[in-house]
Amino acid sequence: MKTSFRKQISGWGFLSPALAVIGFIGIFPFVYVVWLSLYEYNVFSLKGWIFTGLGNYLKLILDARFLDSLYKSILFVGVTCGIQIPLGLAFAILLSQQFVGRGVFRTILALPLSMAPVAIGSMWVLITRPAVGPISYWLSTFGITYNISESSVQAFLTTVIMDVWHWTPFVTLTFLAGLTSIPPEPLEAARVDGANAWKTFRYVTFPLLKPIFATILFIRIMDTFRIYDEIWALTSGGPGTATRYVNISLVRTTLAQSDYGYGATMSVFLLYLTVALCTVLLKLISKVRKEYE
Amino acid sequence: MKKLLALSLVVILVVVFSSMALGADMEWWEKAAEPYRGVTLKVIGQSTAPSIVLRDIAAPEFEKVTGIKVDFEVQPWEVEYEKFIRDVTGNTGIYDAAYIEQDAIYAFMQQKWLTDLTELMEKNPQITDPDLDVNDFTKFIEYFKDSNGHIFGFPFEAFLKMYIYRTDLFNDPEAKEAFKAEYGKDLKPADTWEEYEQNAKFFTEWGKKKGIELYGHTAQAKTGYPAVAYEIVESIWPAMGIYNWGINLEKWRATVENGGQVNSDKAKAALRWYVDMLKYAPPDVKTYTWDEESSSVAAGKVAQGLVYCENLAPLICNPEKSKVAGKVAVTKPPTTPEALADAKAGKGYIGYYDGASYSIPYCSKNKEAAWLFIQWVTRKGWDLEYTRLASRVVRKSTLESPEIKDMDIAQGGYFTAFKEYESLFSGAAPLPMHLVIIDIYMNWISKAVAGEATPEVALDGLAKEIDEAMVKLGY
Amino acid sequence: MITKTVKQFFIYLVLVAITIAIIFPIYWTFLVSTKLKIELLDRPVPYPTRFASENYSRPFVKDIYGQYLMNSILVALGNVGLVLLLAIPATYGLSRFKIKGKENLFFWLITNRMAPPAAFIIPLYLIFSGKVLSFIHLIDTHLVLILTYCLFNLPFAIWLLRGTIDSLPVELDEAAYVDGCSNLGILWKIIIPLAKPTIVVTAILTWLFSWNEMLLASILTSTRASTITPAIIKFVTMAGTDWGEMAAVSIVCLIPAFVFLGFTQRYIIAGLTFGAMKE
Repeated sequence: MKTSFRKQISGWGFLSPALAVIGFIGIFPFVYVVWLSLYEYNVFSLKGWIFTGLGNYLKLILDARFLDSLYKSILFVGVTCGIQIPLGLAFAILLSQQFVGRGVFRTILALPLSMAPVAIGSMWVLITRPAVGPISYWLSTFGITYNISESSVQAFLTTVIMDVWHWTPFVTLTFLAGLTSIPPEPLEAARVDGANAWKTFRYVTFPLLKPIFATILFIRIMDTFRIYDEIWALTSGGPGTATRYVNISLVRTTLAQSDYGYGATMSVFLLYLTVALCTVLLKLISKVRKEYE
Repeated sequence: MKKLLALSLVVILVVVFSSMALGADMEWWEKAAEPYRGVTLKVIGQSTAPSIVLRDIAAPEFEKVTGIKVDFEVQPWEVEYEKFIRDVTGNTGIYDAAYIEQDAIYAFMQQKWLTDLTELMEKNPQITDPDLDVNDFTKFIEYFKDSNGHIFGFPFEAFLKMYIYRTDLFNDPEAKEAFKAEYGKDLKPADTWEEYEQNAKFFTEWGKKKGIELYGHTAQAKTGYPAVAYEIVESIWPAMGIYNWGINLEKWRATVENGGQVNSDKAKAALRWYVDMLKYAPPDVKTYTWDEESSSVAAGKVAQGLVYCENLAPLICNPEKSKVAGKVAVTKPPTTPEALADAKAGKGYIGYYDGASYSIPYCSKNKEAAWLFIQWVTRKGWDLEYTRLASRVVRKSTLESPEIKDMDIAQGGYFTAFKEYESLFSGAAPLPMHLVIIDIYMNWISKAVAGEATPEVALDGLAKEIDEAMVKLGY
Repeated sequence: MITKTVKQFFIYLVLVAITIAIIFPIYWTFLVSTKLKIELLDRPVPYPTRFASENYSRPFVKDIYGQYLMNSILVALGNVGLVLLLAIPATYGLSRFKIKGKENLFFWLITNRMAPPAAFIIPLYLIFSGKVLSFIHLIDTHLVLILTYCLFNLPFAIWLLRGTIDSLPVELDEAAYVDGCSNLGILWKIIIPLAKPTIVVTAILTWLFSWNEMLLASILTSTRASTITPAIIKFVTMAGTDWGEMAAVSIVCLIPAFVFLGFTQRYIIAGLTFGAMKE
């Protein structure tokens, strides 16, 4: 009895410094943003603060422009995660084979991760600009006109490729970690049983990787929804609105239009959308983890 | 070569004289700054040449003479505004002086975020430079005054957005002959938009015929980014007779039904013309923002276009930054005859008078020291030198000075054109909600340029949304 | 029947393709950084013809980008230190002790990481400029970023560490306790050494986030403590984007991160187990 009481206090003792820091910088902003979302407030408005309650939220759900950028974001997240996760897994399997120079290649994988998103955006601008970049030049020799400032499809695909370029190494390294930690016994057993490479992967390796898979999915979806720097540098949401993802809408509303009230509403909405999405995923991970405990 | 020598001689003379002048009246500054010695001013400017000159040259000199330290921050356009607005709305008193662009000043004056400098001057004659000579400033200072004529910012940079053209191409005998054969008249820089379009078509086809990369037009047409909206409201619409962004300044409305002009036939025709003309521009024109109009000229790809003249000097003088150094000239933009008549009568304007001032936020804790700094950067004794360094003109005495002639020749007649046409240009319309609605203009105009909507539909949508926004903001 | 040589060949082929795909954009950025301004008006020649050293010397020697780089390093290291210092005990507490509402607390922590950063701009600015508690004046200091990044990095670190620490058997704790170890001692002597690979991974990912973050750095710092990421966008001005210099700064900015990552990537391989793999 005495032990568990002491333990409880100590537990909070270990936890409290972290909680204090997060609380100090996390609680006030959260309260402030929620409170702000209940008002109609534009810095340049003559009317000042107007209390609208949930009016902003209603307006947000019916806002065609916002819904359009939400749709594009979901599409973007779906396509880009749908590419980089299987691709990363494939590369991880490849890199887990034995061959000379394995370490070198793994180190090269670290390169895209080392660059700041804003630098990555600018870098891709340099490559993709129609007049001064190399890609449009090469593609023109195949008769393809590559101009991301004109073609919505090309712009969207370029943002996908940019994100895949940026994050597939991360996915690869993570899966590689998982693969190298797989104990050899189940694999041996499978081989003894006469299973070929594909069957081994499907029934032995992949199930063991499921927790990592779920975690990576969680992280990537969460982060891809929040993407801003790279896309803004590359296309500013263009051409037109083809690549105007949800975070760009948010930043333009809050910072450029100084519409703090509506921007706060968007923030809260996006946060809870992500929370809802991730709750589903978290439950999935916990369920999967429980299968192994 | 002779020109270069002459220029160098002028420069040397200027430096010698100004340093002599510097020595002479430093006394006044030292005495006036006495009570503020040791203060640190925090200034925020944009990351363009005139502000960078201030950070690197004027501020250290100021510190040496007065003992007031200057912590000078430079940021790109949007970031600078956001930081300033955050400072004043949060009343955090971080900045003592801020770069306020001419088009944004109305919003800030209305929100009472800036210090009334006329009042400051009256209350503090002991820190007001006897040599300040407010009347020496060009008409540009009018755009920083409120309705009572009080000054809220002192201009330190001003440029006109002019029409630039390639002198070598327009004077090429072969081109002249071909043009005459096709159009039956002489090839010359455009006075009207019809002529501009003919020139554009001609040179784009000329480029194809000759197998060189040449286009007859350039623009700042990146969709999703504000620059394209500014081009329409600053340059294209006024030169076609639509002023003040198409907004009725008494009723604060944009739709034709409510007295505005945004969805008028004239405006729609202008936007449609603008979108169509992009076919005569380089193929990557939709990646252009603020400076690519001039860098496309600098790359030798463009025969004519509109250019912010803050980018003119390197374009025309510096062979390290421009392939057409010495081969371009500037003059007033093409207009419709009605727009020109309006401008001459003072009822309208034909182009954009760009520039900015340094102003003092109301929450600054060092207003007097900041006032000294602002006077320092706009003082008469240094203005010519500053013009030499950054090509901006804000004082009449500089424009009239003999030394400017050589700079003028080197810059394709810019200063002559400036003097001659200055009266026809105007700063931005006095719209206090400018920063909010430019984003709305950008959304719709982008749609039209990207082809997501026709110009007619886009302007109808824009006008409606502006009216709604005005109501929401309380106008 | 695929022979081993064919398999090896195929592996190398794919690897070369991957390497080119990864390296090409970076090579191109480096190339741009070697070009003079006039070469960048058009499509530049795809190989370096000279080295325009002023693209490097002007930002780093004449201007204060060297200081920005230093600030980035300081902030990143500082944040990693703070995060580890707070997260390891916190995760230990969450894992080993009965705390009421544990799951809800944990979930609340994670939501901080999920929020769009743009939402925090104004409130954080108000807090650190003294409008909420008047004695706080932390704008434009290193500390402000070190603290602010904790908002995102601490929850993430706790989340990463939790799987590993949870999977360490409680029996080890109890054995040590019987031997006379205090809670702190258990943490220090048993938990940390066993969780080291995951701790290293957490450090790496925390460092990466702090190093690459731009929006909050641009808002909360100005001249003294600005990190290098907001400084990169300074090159995009109304009077011309200086691609050569911007590329040069991007390349230099890449180097410390790459050194750090390249050196420690072997720990990532060993450490990312998420607690499900230990026997």
